[in-house]
Amino acid sequence: MTTPALALSNICKRFGSTEVIRGVNLTVTPGERHAVIGPNGAGKSTLFNLISGLMKPDAGSIALKGDDITATAPWLINRRGLSRSFQVTNIFHRMSVWENVRAGALWAAGQRYAFWRDADKAREVATRTDRILADFDLADRRDAPAGILTYAEQRALEIAITVAGGADVILLDEPTAGMSRAETERVVGLIRRISESRTLVIVEHDMSVVFGLADRISVLVYGEVVACGTPAEIRSNPRVREAYLGEEPH
Amino acid sequence: MLELIIISTLNGVQYGMLLFLMASGLTLIFSMMGVLNFAHASFYMLGAFLGFQVTRWVGFWPALVVAPAAVGVIGALVERYGLRNVHRHGHVPELLFTFGLAYVIEEVVQMIWGKAPVDFRVPALLDFPAFTVFATNYPAYKLFMLLISISIFIALFVVLTRTRIGLIIQAALTHPHMVAHLGHNVPLVFMSVFGAGSALAAVAGVIAGPALVTQSNMAGLLGPILFVVVVVGGLGSLSGAFAASLLIGLVQTFAVSVNASMADIFGFMHFAPKAGSILGDLWTVTLAQIAPILPYLLLVMVLILKPTGLWGTRER
Amino acid sequence: MSGAVTIRSALAVRPTARTLISRHAPWVAVAAAFAVLPLMFRSGTALTMMSLMGISIIFALSYNVLLGQTGMLSFGHAVYFGLGAYFAVHFMNAVATDGTPAPLPVVPLVGGLGGLVFAIAFGWVSTRRSGTAFAMISLGLAELVGSSALILRSFFGGEEGVTTDRTRLQQLFGLSFGQQIEVYYLIAAWCLLCMFLMYRFTRTPLGRMCNAVRDNAERAQFVGYNPQAVRFLAFCVSGFFAGVAGGLAAIHFEIANSAYFSATQSGNVLLATFIGGSGYFFGPIIGAVLVSYLQVMLSDVTEIWQLYFGLLFIVMVMFAPQGIAGLLMMHRPLWGKRKLAKVVAAYAIALPPALIMLAGAALSIEMTYRLSVKAAEGPGMTFFAVSFATDRALPWLTAALLMVGGFVLFRLTWPVIAAAWASAELRKEWAR
Repeated sequence: MTTPALALSNICKRFGSTEVIRGVNLTVTPGERHAVIGPNGAGKSTLFNLISGLMKPDAGSIALKGDDITATAPWLINRRGLSRSFQVTNIFHRMSVWENVRAGALWAAGQRYAFWRDADKAREVATRTDRILADFDLADRRDAPAGILTYAEQRALEIAITVAGGADVILLDEPTAGMSRAETERVVGLIRRISESRTLVIVEHDMSVVFGLADRISVLVYGEVVACGTPAEIRSNPRVREAYLGEEPH
Repeated sequence: MLELIIISTLNGVQYGMLLFLMASGLTLIFSMMGVLNFAHASFYMLGAFLGFQVTRWVGFWPALVVAPAAVGVIGALVERYGLRNVHRHGHVPELLFTFGLAYVIEEVVQMIWGKAPVDFRVPALLDFPAFTVFATNYPAYKLFMLLISISIFIALFVVLTRTRIGLIIQAALTHPHMVAHLGHNVPLVFMSVFGAGSALAAVAGVIAGPALVTQSNMAGLLGPILFVVVVVGGLGSLSGAFAASLLIGLVQTFAVSVNASMADIFGFMHFAPKAGSILGDLWTVTLAQIAPILPYLLLVMVLILKPTGLWGTRER
Repeated sequence: MSGAVTIRSALAVRPTARTLISRHAPWVAVAAAFAVLPLMFRSGTALTMMSLMGISIIFALSYNVLLGQTGMLSFGHAVYFGLGAYFAVHFMNAVATDGTPAPLPVVPLVGGLGGLVFAIAFGWVSTRRSGTAFAMISLGLAELVGSSALILRSFFGGEEGVTTDRTRLQQLFGLSFGQQIEVYYLIAAWCLLCMFLMYRFTRTPLGRMCNAVRDNAERAQFVGYNPQAVRFLAFCVSGFFAGVAGGLAAIHFEIANSAYFSATQSGNVLLATFIGGSGYFFGPIIGAVLVSYLQVMLSDVTEIWQLYFGLLFIVMVMFAPQGIAGLLMMHRPLWGKRKLAKVVAAYAIALPPALIMLAGAALSIEMTYRLSVKAAEGPGMTFFAVSFATDRALPWLTAALLMVGGFVLFRLTWPVIAAAWASAELRKEWAR
């Protein structure tokens, strides 16, 4: 039995008197594409916040590649190989697109807090950044301040920053939110490519994306995982249908 | 000794309440609008000077009403035509705007009234000793100051918790967008709160003016202490501001009355740091001499131990 | 650096001779300018002013490492400036008596180390908070240090401060640095060095992450960086260079006193950096030069120049927060396309009404000043060589007319400026 890329055991989180996450157990195998779906307010973003270190769980533990990362600082978790994107675009709006992606790659390239050498001289980081920009079709916008990009371009940049560091485990929070059909298809192709040899956990509302991309799906309702399985299993699961009020995947 | 303690406690509480009078307005404005009004102490100073001027022309009692009202209007106008425009640029420009405002207000006050202290006197009606504690007379005016501070505090508490406008303000403190969606005129609320906060500072100025020195450096002297109060109490917490105001008021007042230094206390031990060295200075300095910097030492301590402030919760 | 859009070809494997020259040319030009300036402006006042400008430039640039680069607003930066000065003065005095072979050019480094030591100590405490709280803490720390200056008399010398004599140090190449011109060149050399180092800093990984933390500290966490650590390191760099500036000031004035820590000193560097423009590397340089110049020149023209200063600051915060550098760079697309003429012509039309309006405002302010504090000196005064009495109605009416009339006319020219910009037909390259 291989060490799971990500293992959540009995995670609980409450805000005030409201229990938002109640005893979530989740295991993601390395290389898997795992989707987390559920109705609004189910706690999906909170789950991501707990995993990535933005919030501390009240109970339970989280393990990344076998190492415990519960209540660890976000940057330490990132350095161990977990990277996440945000539902509300969270980029460095005054820096150029190129700089944004490079910022995502700096630590992983070993640059750390170096203040004695020119960052531009780090060839590997530069070529890596160029490659990612090309992959994400942002190369012609490389010098534009990130703040003025279109919404879809910013969402793409958001993901680009997330993968720039070469993390093994990638968390994407609603990457296609607000996109048109064409844009969504493009991004899905992109996500499929970048998650080739990595572990992907993705929160999504768009069912076609979920069923087209995921190896396994977990369904989160009111802070609990009510079902976990392959897309076919989930599609035919009565509890899931009930949670979505009989909503047909389209 | 007991006399000293009683007098110092009275003075400390009175000073603390004065600080709270200002810190409460500052905290309300900060909680609601996210901007720490650097010019808050300047409004205090304006209150003192306008109070002085109106007292000269008409009398102290009208000044007590007119000066805060005038400063309140100025504050509301500043919010409406100044701060609101800068808001879209972000928090740093907002803080810079209020910083510039403080700078300009000090210059204007200096321009009009000069750099020397002005003769703002205690009104004759209150110029008598209220009671005697052992051998010291406690002036009635200070009692008056304490009374005004406490009544305003009570009024504030009642307004915020028992009236409709108070509920709206409390809601807007944490969820301004939601309050706007509910149909309340949030810009008007902001303008009123800013104006009211400024008026509160001005009241503090009018009543403190006769007791403390009314001079154009008033804002520069009290401002930093005020900001220490809100940071130590926890940015955005009214109860924290109250506790921190009292704490700092008492600590400073007690310290000022203690003329002891380390040398006095430990002098019986037959060693002492060399005079003329840094340790020597620290050895001989009296508590009264370092009283002005005690708030800042408290700030550093709180920062090390509990960075969000004693009552603080949110990181802004 | 920071918000400036940089055009660069990172795919070039080896820099061509042309890029090498274009990269280093500005520095050579600045060095040449520094060298030549004293030959153009020979008077003692000019030399002193240029020396002060050099010190201010370093100080303002160090401040912008915090403000423009890392997004940290500090109200107490003068602490490191002052501490640097004190360390430098004590070092100079110690060396002069010991006879240690340490020449004067080394002294600013001592100042820098003094600033650095305290930046590490205070920075560790201050950077635990960010934003508004950080600003207030910087204010509190400044008060703490400023007040300590009167308590720790042995180090700070009480009210009189600590004096020194820069000529008593070991001479370098026979220079005793007694003359102002020699001090100028020392300051200019250090200024050039500090400018270069701070510019290079903006291009380091840490420098870039400072920008990232400024733009989005939360996101920076998720790319592997501890925002507090980044801020702390930026704070240390900033404190070091502020200390260097302080050391140079100590050399120039041959004294270190509590005025170095004053709120005015902290406020002035903030004003200079902001007015110059915190979003571009050269912004603080412009601001420092301008503020130094105004401080010396304006104080001869009017006694309340500080009020005008504050008003200028507020106006810029409200209408031009990008500063002078930002305003200049806003016109950059125009330079490239040679469409500057139309826009400049529009500005030329708008200038006279604006000046009239400003004259009216200045007149009102000066008259108010004369009436209040200066009342003892009588109501007569002159304004731009026109004499009148302030207790008459006419000057007041004139002032009001100039202000209102000037504003109205100025307002009328705004569409002209807008039209000029529109006709420049800038294809907005970035926005689609």
